[in-house]
Amino acid sequence: MSDWLRQVLIAAALAGAALATAPWVLGEFEVSLALTILMYVGLAVSWALFCGPTLYLSLATSAFFGIGAYVTAWGLGTLPYAVVVPLGGLAAAAFAALVGAAVLHLRGAYFAVITFGLGELVRHAIAYFEKSYFMTVGRVLTDTPEKTTVYLTVLAIALAAVIAYALVRESRFGLALGGIGADEQRAQTLGVNTRAVKVAGFTLSALFAGMLGAAIAVRWIYLDPPTVFNPFIGFQTVLIAMLGGAHTLLGPIVSAVVFSLFTEFLRLRFPYAYLLVLGTLLIIVVLYLPRGFAQLWEGWRARRDRPARAAESPRA
Amino acid sequence: MNIPHAVKRLVLAALAVATVAPALAQEPPVRIGYAISRSGPFAAGAQTTQEPNYILWADQVNAAGGLNVQGKRRKIELVGIDDRSEVETMVRTVEKLMTSDKMDLVLPPWGTGMNFAVMPLLAKYGYPVIAPTATGRRLIEMKNPFFFPILQQPDTIMRALAEMLAARGVKTVAAIYVDELFGLENISALEAALKAKGIRILEKKSYPIGVKDLAAVLNEFKSLNPDAFIGVTYPPDTFLVTGQAKQLGFNPKIFYTAVGAAFPVYRDKMGVATVEGVMGIGSWNSKASPASKVYFDAHVAKFQKEPDRWGSPHAWAGMQILQAAIEKVGLDRKAIRDYIANTEHDTLIGKVRWRDGENVSTPGMVLQWQKGEFEVIWPPDRATAQPIIPKPEWK
Repeated sequence: MSDWLRQVLIAAALAGAALATAPWVLGEFEVSLALTILMYVGLAVSWALFCGPTLYLSLATSAFFGIGAYVTAWGLGTLPYAVVVPLGGLAAAAFAALVGAAVLHLRGAYFAVITFGLGELVRHAIAYFEKSYFMTVGRVLTDTPEKTTVYLTVLAIALAAVIAYALVRESRFGLALGGIGADEQRAQTLGVNTRAVKVAGFTLSALFAGMLGAAIAVRWIYLDPPTVFNPFIGFQTVLIAMLGGAHTLLGPIVSAVVFSLFTEFLRLRFPYAYLLVLGTLLIIVVLYLPRGFAQLWEGWRARRDRPARAAESPRA
Repeated sequence: MNIPHAVKRLVLAALAVATVAPALAQEPPVRIGYAISRSGPFAAGAQTTQEPNYILWADQVNAAGGLNVQGKRRKIELVGIDDRSEVETMVRTVEKLMTSDKMDLVLPPWGTGMNFAVMPLLAKYGYPVIAPTATGRRLIEMKNPFFFPILQQPDTIMRALAEMLAARGVKTVAAIYVDELFGLENISALEAALKAKGIRILEKKSYPIGVKDLAAVLNEFKSLNPDAFIGVTYPPDTFLVTGQAKQLGFNPKIFYTAVGAAFPVYRDKMGVATVEGVMGIGSWNSKASPASKVYFDAHVAKFQKEPDRWGSPHAWAGMQILQAAIEKVGLDRKAIRDYIANTEHDTLIGKVRWRDGENVSTPGMVLQWQKGEFEVIWPPDRATAQPIIPKPEWK
């Protein structure tokens, strides 16, 4: 086990223990805010797990999230929450494996567009299915778990995503993903089964997004396709990961915290300025920090280490 | 202590009393919070039917000196926050308003889905709300004691429509409906109501929310030549079917659309001549009573736009009921809830009384655009004008 992995595991354990006390220490609103932040930590880290090293730009997060949420809509009531949540993750993962095998040969804008289209496809398919077989489109959840349960579940999923990210990066599998990002054909020539690696990475990333969708949907009581397949959730995830630096672990985490707190602050204090400020910020990052805010940190480290001629590549 | 010093002190003390005294005499404001969509897909609806009424109400009450809370005049402090049309953001915001901000009261968010999501918070923290933009049997089935939907229910609306059609000798109908809770509840209510009156549905077709073209369906309907066209539509589709039916020359004796027909912007965008004779869901217009004219004029003066003829008057009626409740029982939310639940209220839309969580006093109504006004044409005891049937040619 490398030092870095050990550090990540220790940090995750400490952060998990501290955050688990939130429902008893913080007020209702602060816990809800923490819940949203953790949701985006989980989404952004699991997105970066696949898209960071491979440089594939996936917009399928909303589709995975929505599939998870719909498993809750169908299952909760007959199945307990503790079963529904992992089931939501598995459903999203199965979907990712299926479509991943079909679309992962595409790259760049084509891949981005088709993954966005997937969300729409699933949304309309579910609406049609519900209408044809159950004569309904929306589902009402009557027996929902306590907020504390939801919070702790989302916390556990977010931590699991962080740990999965760290384990993948230290593994041969992680190296293969990085190899695909650097030069897919060369990776293939060197004996990497790029197709299988890509599908596995895409699937793992979907597992967490699906579980998060299943876990958080109980807060919404009324679930229908337009609500749970909200493309904004996917866009925001990509935005957070890119702002932070999708090639790092710390970048998306810090970015999810800062971005959520910042948008909440703007929304409550400057309701009419917040989209303007966000847009401006995004333009600045794209123009001057293409590797996200992690670039600032890496630049600082590079400058610090230069006299010492540290050979190791910077890691955040 | 020399004399001038004492005088100076006296003057200072007097000044201090003079500045502090009015502050002491002024009662603290009644703080009322709400989360509503000012951005995102719900914003257009929320800003037409709901938030303007909150603001107008608080303005009028404050201009009159404030709410009379147990003998004391207290101003209203409205705290409205954008929920970005996101359910999770709305829930979080309302939690904040109820717990850390400790609002005296909250007002409901916009739309049926949002109102479902706010219900557990209402029950948990004991905040009653009167919801003007939520309809559906499923809401009532939740049996939430703090939730009072004030719109008519789908079955009530569709029964009224079927009665009007039967009274006018309509035999055949072609219908479209939006694939959404509202569309499905209404179409099944319509089918039951038409069956009871012996009216035949020649064809019914559904379409997904956000549809961009319905010409093929309308063309097919045109060849069926039904007596009436019923569109269980949402605002964008209401505009769409009106424009396309006109283009295709599909002009049955009765042309009915659902949500959005009551919006003044529908008339303004399509044109007074085009919408002449189009029917739709609504509850009210400014001719209903002298008080209606006063409300209408105040709304126009404040926002330079007319209130719509369905959600807005219901929203206003909700504020009237809330005000009466506060002035009767004070700010004890449980007492306000009981007052709302157990009283017959006099409002802009007439009497309102809840039984088992449903407003059972406001009947289903049919309205029709006539010379730029959305006239109530059914039921007869609410009518503000005679119906124009058959509908004139599209212009």
